[in-house]
Amino acid sequence: MKPSQETDEEFRRLCDFLYRRTGMIFTDSKRYFVQRRIAERMGATGSASFASYFARLRSDIAGEIEQFINAFTVNETYFYREDHQFRCLTADLLAARLKHKTPGEPIRIWSAPCATGEEPYSIAIWLLENWPQVDAYDVEIVGSDIDTAVLAAARSGRYGRRALMRLSEAVVKKYFAPIGPDAWQIIDELRQSVAFTPVNLSEPGQTRGHGVFDVIFCRNMLIYFDDASRRVAAENLFENLAPGGYICLGHTESMSRISPLFDVCRFADAIVYQKPAGGAHG
Amino acid sequence: MAEAVRRRVLVVDDAGLVRRYYREALEAAGYLVDEALNGLEALEKLLLQPADLVVVDVNMPQMDGFTFLKALRRQAAPLCAIPALVISTESGPQDFAAAQAAGANFYLVKPVSQATLTDYADLMCGAGA
Amino acid sequence: MPLIRRPSPAAPDPAAPAPAFTGGTAEERWAAARAAAGSAEAVPTLAAALATEPDMRVREAIFTSLALIDTDASVQAVLAHVRSDDAGMRTAALDALRAMPRRAGRHLPALLRDPDADVRILACDLCRSVAPPELHALLGPLLETEPEANVCAAAVEVLADGGGPDILPALSRCAARFGGDPFLAFSIRIAAARIAAQRCG
Repeated sequence: MKPSQETDEEFRRLCDFLYRRTGMIFTDSKRYFVQRRIAERMGATGSASFASYFARLRSDIAGEIEQFINAFTVNETYFYREDHQFRCLTADLLAARLKHKTPGEPIRIWSAPCATGEEPYSIAIWLLENWPQVDAYDVEIVGSDIDTAVLAAARSGRYGRRALMRLSEAVVKKYFAPIGPDAWQIIDELRQSVAFTPVNLSEPGQTRGHGVFDVIFCRNMLIYFDDASRRVAAENLFENLAPGGYICLGHTESMSRISPLFDVCRFADAIVYQKPAGGAHG
Repeated sequence: MAEAVRRRVLVVDDAGLVRRYYREALEAAGYLVDEALNGLEALEKLLLQPADLVVVDVNMPQMDGFTFLKALRRQAAPLCAIPALVISTESGPQDFAAAQAAGANFYLVKPVSQATLTDYADLMCGAGA
Repeated sequence: MPLIRRPSPAAPDPAAPAPAFTGGTAEERWAAARAAAGSAEAVPTLAAALATEPDMRVREAIFTSLALIDTDASVQAVLAHVRSDDAGMRTAALDALRAMPRRAGRHLPALLRDPDADVRILACDLCRSVAPPELHALLGPLLETEPEANVCAAAVEVLADGGGPDILPALSRCAARFGGDPFLAFSIRIAAARIAAQRCG
């Protein structure tokens, strides 16, 4: 497919739009990469010109913003995706949270949206493999999604080879049982230790029953919401975090486009966001 | 001038054309330039890459310039000590007072020419880029 | 293995008493603000709470509820703070208006004629959610008659993103009116280049 033929200023106009909306930055050095995606989306939407495609994107006709952003991100979910955040979890976040725990109080981690379960199971496996204190604390992991069909798939815990591509052979052997050619299932013990629940993050008050978490992984969802839904979701997540608790977004997302409720924190492996220790007041 | 001594400026403004106008002037004067669209993104950028000067608008989505400067002044060194030049369309006495209270070093009212911007940048970064 | 699982979460109790704004902690006022999201009758209470609320995060929740209520009264309650002396309050009010684009859009013609130039500048930014030809109808006359260069610059910024070829003549007349302003000249040059590229593209 040939790159689209837009001019310098049209390219910058599109980059400005994407930056304003998501915080993603594409400099001239990425121009070919961006042009390829534009050409793909123009083809998929039957747009005759860059101008007509950009008008479609800007007005978000038929969810084009999500489609366009998806063209830039690996939309597949797989185990240990964005593992720098898991390194951050075991290197820094859990230690910080434990300072506020009374003996016997569990650590609660939420994966929302969890889709078909790769993320919450990844968190469980990562902790078992990489967190030396894992035996000393109770850890509760909850995966939630609005889509009950994906939740059923998450509960069954069956995956193909691609989903497992980042895991070592030893880890696969330890936590998965082969169930056919190129098919594996999470071992029962692990499946039974992760809870899966339906949730709608963009409805006020719908998440309260899930209780308060120490760390929330909320990747690649908020950036697609409109302004009103982003506000509601951010407030829901704020209520579902313990004071001082952390939230991790997807690597193309920045809280600067979503909500001012959280403080930004830099750790060695990741930028994460924090509910102020004082709670609502800050 | 050698890369090692080039000063870095973070331009914080929600208007893309304003950021570009400042960037062109500052780069021509030898500065390295980063951009942020609001105060939250500015804090995020500074945590990853500190700057020698921040040029800050007032009215921006999610976090305004004064709230940003107050948050910046609460950061650990060296971030808390970064000089701040506020450039805004707001020209009321309450805005000047708020800027001072938030920790701004200078306040200019838009429009600001590229020459004025680089003069202030040179002044606030010491010997210039 | 120390991983544990608990029973499914309980649904929120609908019979629980509604929290109140007055005399409570920040957490209680936050809860009161959020509980009001569904009811148009809560607008006067939310508006009154907004005027005195010291906590930035509680204010955010109040603004969100006003945006979700999305009535003429709730827009008015938000608009009252667009001209606040407090920059944080102006920012929060504008963000709330962006979350109710259709209803806020009806107020754009009046806001663009506001006697206060600062309000006109902020109103230009709210036009980002509008597409041509409505965008041209709103900002075209402003380019021809607006006396403040900063307001025109704010309009040009939005047109550089969303404007179409029909606006090019008004842009060049605006550039001629403010010949001595280097930033406006720069902005209009780029906006015109972007829009012209669109015409041939």
